[in-house]
Amino acid sequence: MTSSDETDGQDLLGHVLLPVAHEEDALATARALEPYDPEHVTALHVVEKGEGVPDKTPVEQSEELAAESYAAVRTVFPDADDHTAYARDIVGAIFDAADEVDASAVAYRSRGGNRLMQFLSGDISLKMVTNAPLPVISLPQVDDEE
Amino acid sequence: MSDEELAKDLGLVSAMTIGIGTMIGAGIFVLPGVAVNADGGAGPIVVVSFVVGGVIAMVNALSVSELGTAMPKAGGGYYYINKSLGPMFGSIAGMGDWMGLAFASAFYCIGFGQYLAVFVGLPTIPGLNAIQVGALVAGAIFIGVNYIGAKETGGIQTVIVGLLLSILAVFAVAGFFSFDYATLAGNEGGLAPGGYGAILPGTALVFVSFLGYAKIATVAEELKNPGRNLPIAIIGSVGIVTVIYAVLVTTMLGVVPWPELSQDAPVAQAARVAFPESIGPLTGVAGAAAAVMTVGALLATASSANASILASARINFAMGRDKIVTNWLNEIHPNYATPYRSILVTGGLIVVFIALLGRDIEILSKAASVLHLIVYALMNVGLIVFREADVPEYDPDFTVPFYPLTPILGAVLSLGLVAFMDGIEIALSGAFVVAAVAWYFVYARDKTDNQGVLSEHIRSREAELPDQVVGAADAVAPNGSGDDGPTIMVAVSNPRTESALITLAGAIAQHEGGRVLATHIVTVPDQTSLETAAENRSGLDQSSEELLAAAASDAEAFDVPIETKTILSHRGIEEVFDAARSNDADTVVMGYGGTRFAGGRVEGSLDELAHDLPCDFLVLDGQQLDLSDVLVPTAGGPSSDLSAEVAKALRDTVGIDVSLLYVADSGEEESGREFLSGWADGHGLDDATLRIETGDVEETIGRLGEEYDLVIVGATERGLLSRIVRGSLAFETIETLDTPVLLSERPSSRSLWERLFGGR
Repeated sequence: MTSSDETDGQDLLGHVLLPVAHEEDALATARALEPYDPEHVTALHVVEKGEGVPDKTPVEQSEELAAESYAAVRTVFPDADDHTAYARDIVGAIFDAADEVDASAVAYRSRGGNRLMQFLSGDISLKMVTNAPLPVISLPQVDDEE
Repeated sequence: MSDEELAKDLGLVSAMTIGIGTMIGAGIFVLPGVAVNADGGAGPIVVVSFVVGGVIAMVNALSVSELGTAMPKAGGGYYYINKSLGPMFGSIAGMGDWMGLAFASAFYCIGFGQYLAVFVGLPTIPGLNAIQVGALVAGAIFIGVNYIGAKETGGIQTVIVGLLLSILAVFAVAGFFSFDYATLAGNEGGLAPGGYGAILPGTALVFVSFLGYAKIATVAEELKNPGRNLPIAIIGSVGIVTVIYAVLVTTMLGVVPWPELSQDAPVAQAARVAFPESIGPLTGVAGAAAAVMTVGALLATASSANASILASARINFAMGRDKIVTNWLNEIHPNYATPYRSILVTGGLIVVFIALLGRDIEILSKAASVLHLIVYALMNVGLIVFREADVPEYDPDFTVPFYPLTPILGAVLSLGLVAFMDGIEIALSGAFVVAAVAWYFVYARDKTDNQGVLSEHIRSREAELPDQVVGAADAVAPNGSGDDGPTIMVAVSNPRTESALITLAGAIAQHEGGRVLATHIVTVPDQTSLETAAENRSGLDQSSEELLAAAASDAEAFDVPIETKTILSHRGIEEVFDAARSNDADTVVMGYGGTRFAGGRVEGSLDELAHDLPCDFLVLDGQQLDLSDVLVPTAGGPSSDLSAEVAKALRDTVGIDVSLLYVADSGEEESGREFLSGWADGHGLDDATLRIETGDVEETIGRLGEEYDLVIVGATERGLLSRIVRGSLAFETIETLDTPVLLSERPSSRSLWERLFGGR
């Protein structure tokens, strides 16, 4: 897209990359970001790849999930772009995508879960904030899910 | 495009690892002891049983490779069968594959339990023996691992399989040195104490050791370069595994006399004997070797069970996509991104199988084999159907050698092996097939919409085939919502022709009980990106909306559902083909002008494209239709069948008079009349006026056409459309005719019979 090549580097919400996992998460994340009125949003879904072993879900299903997530984001930000990445290293893929779409910041919502589960499925929050090459915004938990 | 590439991350080694890792499991680690002692003692001849199993697996592997390269889709065997033989067989295959995997997983868990019992003392619970308890614990762990999606990396998986192969290689080498031919053959009864008749029942028992190569096909969409890697991985892994089995079993039997071979953990037992008690200062080598073999067995069974649980989720997904099972199963877990419901249901089945049938490992292994063999047999039949029905989309990179011998052999061998199972497994599977068919009729038939190539093939040749065959195809065909009838796609582009095209499509859709899909394909210059075009679409939207709204209101005259769609594309006519394919259109109706908007561009590929029609095409040359009578010139052939269908649809919905024309050579008017009246009867047009003329065909059509409101001309040969598109068709008489002309072309294909028996 033509918009944000000229981001002056100061406008944090000039072009926000919004990683989303599934429809519900996408909606909640987008709603959490909405009050801050970002200029431009790109929704990102990272399809988790096995890289050597079969994926957890078939590619087609992963892509359906991505499409549903983007649709959910667009209910909040109708002009949002989307971007799909395929990687085993989710956090790395998020930052690669940020670079690729030239985002000014990454906004995400921690999906909670207890310690053990975060450990087993890889604590994404920790990696997000410790390895960030660009601003990472942790969105507040808003309880608007039914 | 690039997304597709990004999704592919499995190389050849990974693919082989999946195949070998799944196959080498409980089969080789548990069954040799059971097999040699089966039925009073089959003896060393079971080595041949393993090899025969490998041969059967190899024949099927060839077919799987072809199908997998043609359709790299999640679901594997089920997907191919559903696509070719339709949802009834699809239900059998899907359920068969699914239950087969559940049985196989239960079998792997039992194998795991048997080796676990070597290491640790397992408690017994009333109703369950120690091995079952171990198996249930193992099963619960495998299910849990898949549920939360904690995954080993590809590297680790490769290392595990590599380790496994090295352990087995070291065992084979050690076994070679302590191998004693007398141990192998010197027992009572020699090499075949049970006679050579014991070979095939032995194969039936151990065939479960070869289940796994087809798993590679279920992840075909994730393979890099599947056209090359898929066949190599599938065929290669079967070949490698067969050799390993032959060597291992021979070694085991040359180390431990077969009557003494353990029925629980034969490999550990053989290792204990094969390795010397001490090497130099090291003592306890034999015990350590046995322990290493036990670890190997645990790794092998675990990876087999793991892969099978994952594969069953793929099959559930594919079945859910076709609405054979509820998509509820395929919901993805919000936190773990796994198809957790599918995994839990499969896990539940595994637990039940372990608890109820786990005492007799033979039943589990054979039930798994029978179900897979049924699927393999259907898959081979499906391959033949794909080839014979000449489906344009069916374009495999790898083709089986010696077609049609190979798939026929595959089907015969697979079903033949079933016959060597015991009564109980055959009965179990028979009951299972009945249940799957019942499931289809009770649940899935109303929901699924894909009728399969075979049934389309039969139903599209209603006139040529015996009534019973067509009746049978109709009886089992799905009646799900998507298959209320055919989809008639109209490519509208010009407001002046829109109404005429919709009238034709509406009449056909009403007659066939189908629906109309009106598409407006907007060609965007190459220089403009589609995104930019989409942004600047306000002006475009308006004209497009007006056009499609007019189409919708014209279609209201007919009692048919209509959908409308605007498609932005850099391509013109090619997009029509693509849209027809992606919307599953059965007939495309378009204007003559529309065929020209490709200009002179990309002629070569276009030509090829138009040679490979995705469905029936009707091209109207003319702008207005005011129908009261039509002329259908015919000389037989598939395209004039289509002309007849259109004429019949117009007769029954708009109430026109149909005249049929046959241009005969002079002096042959009588045989011409005979042909034409037969043809009219055969196409339900017996009330049509028959006209027999002599002379030049085009000139006659041109002359008589003036008297009618529409002339429907069937393509006399393949490729009519491609010639119109290129503008090279010397059809001047017809082009200059004032009467509107409808050109019809049906993709031709040789019939099953003709291809099998070489008629023509």
